[in-house]
Amino acid sequence: MLTEGLVVVHERLGDKEQGLRRLVLKGPIAQTAQAGQFVAIQVQDSSISSFDPLLRRPISLAEISPERDEITLLYRIVGRGTEILARARCGEKLSVMGPLGQGFSLPEEGELWLIAGGIGVFPLYALAQSALAKGLTVRLFWGGENQQFLESAGYSHWQALGIPIHLSTLDGSIGQKGLVTEQVQERLSQLVGQVKQEQEQEQEKLFNSEKISVATCGPKKMMQAVTELCKNAGVPVEVSLEERMGCAVGACLGCVCTLIDEAGSLIHKKVCQDGPVFRGEEVVWDVSC
Amino acid sequence: MCPVDLTTNIAGITLRNPVLTCSGTYGFGEEYAAYCPVEALGGITLKGLTPKPRLGNAVPRLAETPAGLLNAVGLENPGLEEFIKSYLPRVRKLPTAVIANVSGFSLEDYVQMARALQRESGLAALEVNISCPNVKHGGMHFGTDPKSAEEVIAAVKAETDLPIIAKLSPNVTDIVGMAKAVQRGGADALSLINTLLGMRIDIDQQRPVLANTFGGLSGPAIRPVAVRMVWQVAQASDLPIIGMGGITTWQDAVEFLLAGATAVSIGTGNFVNPQAPLEILQGIEKYCTDRGFASVRELVGMAHKA
Repeated sequence: MLTEGLVVVHERLGDKEQGLRRLVLKGPIAQTAQAGQFVAIQVQDSSISSFDPLLRRPISLAEISPERDEITLLYRIVGRGTEILARARCGEKLSVMGPLGQGFSLPEEGELWLIAGGIGVFPLYALAQSALAKGLTVRLFWGGENQQFLESAGYSHWQALGIPIHLSTLDGSIGQKGLVTEQVQERLSQLVGQVKQEQEQEQEKLFNSEKISVATCGPKKMMQAVTELCKNAGVPVEVSLEERMGCAVGACLGCVCTLIDEAGSLIHKKVCQDGPVFRGEEVVWDVSC
Repeated sequence: MCPVDLTTNIAGITLRNPVLTCSGTYGFGEEYAAYCPVEALGGITLKGLTPKPRLGNAVPRLAETPAGLLNAVGLENPGLEEFIKSYLPRVRKLPTAVIANVSGFSLEDYVQMARALQRESGLAALEVNISCPNVKHGGMHFGTDPKSAEEVIAAVKAETDLPIIAKLSPNVTDIVGMAKAVQRGGADALSLINTLLGMRIDIDQQRPVLANTFGGLSGPAIRPVAVRMVWQVAQASDLPIIGMGGITTWQDAVEFLLAGATAVSIGTGNFVNPQAPLEILQGIEKYCTDRGFASVRELVGMAHKA
């Protein structure tokens, strides 16, 4: 769907240097969008037609509010395109394609672990909201550079959800010092340990009687490590991939990722159309083709 | 007032209007269905096929440039056999002219595909890509040497009853020489132009941005080069030309028609605006209405008469 999104909120989050923005657009996309999907947004100044930058920018949905016809996009200014987008003012209309791609699947029951690295937390917020609305238990593991970053990137919003949150920072300014994957590993080992004691040397996978499932978004290396941890523990994991996109609808094959199919063959899938969310175990993380 | 006659004719195919979409930017015709109904288009050109399936190049495959886009997809495609089995039954039913695009690494590759794709396949024409810049020892070899270009077109022509459209590379010093060569080979029409070879370097990582190092440049940045080549070829050859290269607005499309293109094709412009083909068509129609042209065919090459 190609629509005009009316800018109703566009504000800076945190310090100027962090370059974080919150953009709320009014339009029909919220009616059909699901957590994990994204929009492709034209970043040209709407008053002067220009083809530089040429391409739309794919941005994930951080909040979906069908009752208000609003979607919230959280993004970081990383280049010329997002710099121009950051100038869009309230009342302006932006050309938006979406909702695009395949989002996260919600488990039927159990506890959903959201594991985020840095701004990878943004699309997980929409997922947390839908999971909570469905009555699932949600737990967040979130790693970032420092306290200031986590606070700017929406920590208080997460706290307001009333879910257990495990923070990690590189400098230890808040939460545990180190990587988010270390906390995930610790908690998984505890659970595996408990079950092992109860069931005596049975396979590790048995611990998942608590029906944990994982959704992760962040740096590739982090998602790879999370996938590995989940695989060992028998926990299903969904990952949200990122790649440079051209068309955003599956036509140009610019944004392929490599997966392994059931027969063990390497195949390509389109991040824009088949993803961006994939099952962790099907992703081939280190590829040269 | 009479409505403008938008129909046009390329290589014996009657098109309901002169707006097509470019190979490699429009998948197999269904990806853009939610944005642009194919029945509104004069035709679509399918993703380039090779005899065997190809996974293509590593990522990154795309790099944005000022008003342009570098791509090095590397001819990822399901291969001829899978295309015929899984894609052709669907695409032949699309309510528009469907042009298949073929690429090869040898003369035999082209011959094999031409043999398999015929009028009875339900296709309107065969676009022969002798100009892909993104695969090693790829089609571009055939597209930069006039003798090879003539040979490959002649070989394809001998194997299929479909009209042949030769897609030429702009990465040559003498585009007119190439056009004449494929005309001798039996081409029925020309697609002008494919992408211009380019590259970008990541100055932070101090290495090329594209995994393939080089890529093909498309988008508004290349449009003046494309218009110039259409102009030159239109002057020197009577083959109908499908003009392409950076067309994003109706004004761009009109430039190509005036330069001598019989039809236009939208590629990277679809990424900017998925409804670009529709808007371009409306713009062309209005241009004709406003200036009193009864048929879009009147525009073709008009700038040469000035």
